[in-house]
Amino acid sequence: MTGTALDAATTELLAGSLRELLASVSAGGELGPALDALGWAEVLADDPATATTLLFTEHGRALVSSRALDDVLLAELDPALPPAAGSRALLYPHPAEGADPAPLDGPLWGVLLGPLHGVDEVVVPATAEGRTVLVTVAATDLAAAGGPATGFDLGSTWHTVAGPRPPGSGPPAPEAWTRAVAAGRRALAAEMIGVCESALTLATAHTTDRVQYGRPIASFQAVRHRLAEAYVAVTAARAVLDAAWTAAGGADGGGWAAAAAKLQAGRAQAQVMRHAVQVCGAMGLSQESELHRHVTRAAALDALLGGHMALAESAGAALLAGADVHPVVEL
Amino acid sequence: MSAQVRPAVGASGLATDLNAYRQALRAYLGAEPRLDRWRGARYTTTEERIRGHGMLMGALHRDGWNRYGWPEAAGGLAGDERHRAVLYEELSAAGLPVPEPVLMLETLGPPLVRFAPYLAAELLPAYLRGEEWWGQGFSEPEAGSDLAALRCRARRDGDSYVLSGQKLWTSHGATARRLMCLVRTGSPESRHRGLTMVLVDADAPGVSVRPVALASGRNELAEVFFDDARVPASRLVGAEGEGWAVAMYLLQFERAMFAWLSATVALRRLRELRDMLTARDGHRLPDGSARRVGECYADLVALRARSAQTVRRLAAGEAVGPEASVDKVLLATAETGLHDLARDLLGAEFVLGGPPEVEEWRADWWYSRASTIMGGSAEVQRTILADHVLNLPKERGA
Repeated sequence: MTGTALDAATTELLAGSLRELLASVSAGGELGPALDALGWAEVLADDPATATTLLFTEHGRALVSSRALDDVLLAELDPALPPAAGSRALLYPHPAEGADPAPLDGPLWGVLLGPLHGVDEVVVPATAEGRTVLVTVAATDLAAAGGPATGFDLGSTWHTVAGPRPPGSGPPAPEAWTRAVAAGRRALAAEMIGVCESALTLATAHTTDRVQYGRPIASFQAVRHRLAEAYVAVTAARAVLDAAWTAAGGADGGGWAAAAAKLQAGRAQAQVMRHAVQVCGAMGLSQESELHRHVTRAAALDALLGGHMALAESAGAALLAGADVHPVVEL
Repeated sequence: MSAQVRPAVGASGLATDLNAYRQALRAYLGAEPRLDRWRGARYTTTEERIRGHGMLMGALHRDGWNRYGWPEAAGGLAGDERHRAVLYEELSAAGLPVPEPVLMLETLGPPLVRFAPYLAAELLPAYLRGEEWWGQGFSEPEAGSDLAALRCRARRDGDSYVLSGQKLWTSHGATARRLMCLVRTGSPESRHRGLTMVLVDADAPGVSVRPVALASGRNELAEVFFDDARVPASRLVGAEGEGWAVAMYLLQFERAMFAWLSATVALRRLRELRDMLTARDGHRLPDGSARRVGECYADLVALRARSAQTVRRLAAGEAVGPEASVDKVLLATAETGLHDLARDLLGAEFVLGGPPEVEEWRADWWYSRASTIMGGSAEVQRTILADHVLNLPKERGA
């Protein structure tokens, strides 16, 4: 299944190409054709861990909003679905429900990562009799129920969907959904890490340039230590994500480890953004700097497929209920 | 060395095949009845515990298991850092302690092997057998975080060095057979340039040791006085004046191998805490406990993930350098978090009394406070990252 692992030099080269590609994509634009031109499918097949982490880290760093994540989850869901009638998008469970799809006998409730231009059908996971089923709905049937998200992250192309559920049924696919959630969480962790790295770079540059009391504010211990803590948080998140990829071949698609990776990245973004906003002073909370866009994007990414509070709560509850104290990492 | 109790040991494959070592070790730890006496064993004093754990090292050594990861010339059976890391992991997973003497062995062994291989050949085998353990003489009354300010002097006199001065806060110091000390051989103003590492016998004339009790009452630390103590020049670790480089090499292991080792123990302790809390009838945990447990677990997973990467780098012979401070910060976060969790969830029993296992958590709670102090305080680690990893403008006066 895996081909040749990407070496460091190739990875660096690819990162450069991705940065160029992502800088040129318009908000809500399609990444697919540009990635195809880059031969991305081949890179992904060769080394899914490095390729996915690279793509989503750069995606986060560039603050791009696209439906790239759909491809990650749909790759796991497609085998459980009838053949696609055209191009597909995915309706994510509403963040208020974590990664649990809404009940099939209730109304539609969820999030799309972009408008449905050019999309033919939408895969809508739902819960029926305690299991996840995958309902396929015509994009036109969904359009009326959705509108642009108007919350914290104004730079995103996300749409919230709420309304009556169009008729439709689909196969039960709990295992495929579990694997899709795991894959999605790994990609989201990488994306949050990218946003954090970029925010840390901004904060480092600002505090190095900004002079008060006759010296750069990054020469004050209180500022230096906040930035050091932010660095530790991102580094830890990256390490757990690496471990989650090692576990990805496991029976449940490495679900437990993927949840740990998203939890760690979610905690990292909370810490990094708290410190970065503080050390950037008024720049951090105004539109004078790009920092605020990192804050809101990281918060939105954290909320999707289970936020860090919910993931900590569920891991702790599982452990208290007697679950194996999973080591996640092996040497 | 009876062949029937350890059929796999000595098989040359284990030194080169980490997985084979892991599997063979796991089978041994699961089946060897002689190890049961160390499962759940409790000791009322630090001295008792370290002696008990020394005997566990002896048992592991007899069957060869703790010799992997150390060079054959120093009494080992070859392999690399990952073998040692796997040993700590498997001991913890099997409900056994990582023997206390290993903590300083992981710190002092690597620099000895690297900078004084002849001393490692002579002295490390007894350490591996658990017959002796050593302390690390770095801190002094006037030199804690500012290590380069240390004043304990060593003066060359013929084939010897004569030591005078004091060391403080030495872990395992009260029972240590030897002390690896960083001493000043240069002028008082020479800072990090005038330092030398030397291995001193604790029973040499002119050396006196006084135990220092933690707030728990346990003698985890010691202070050491040198009153013209004579040490042969052959006991230098590295050359005269090379002490700072030796110390920096040592600190990579103290910050990274120790982090991994502590993470394996911490995961066992979290499991034991959970089992203790959930085994109680009708005891309701306070609201918010699940999230606290989840956060603590996440800290432990982060520490494991990061320190595993660092162990792999050390095993590949890479210099980890200032990046090891990340491991140290994560270690301190996990250690303090775990013990605060135990303290909060054990609640009244922690404060007012309770069974012996609660007493162990109380004693460990105080020791966990050392995780943000020893081996470079939490503040020192953040400053290292700010200076050498983030390359921020230097602090004024630094």
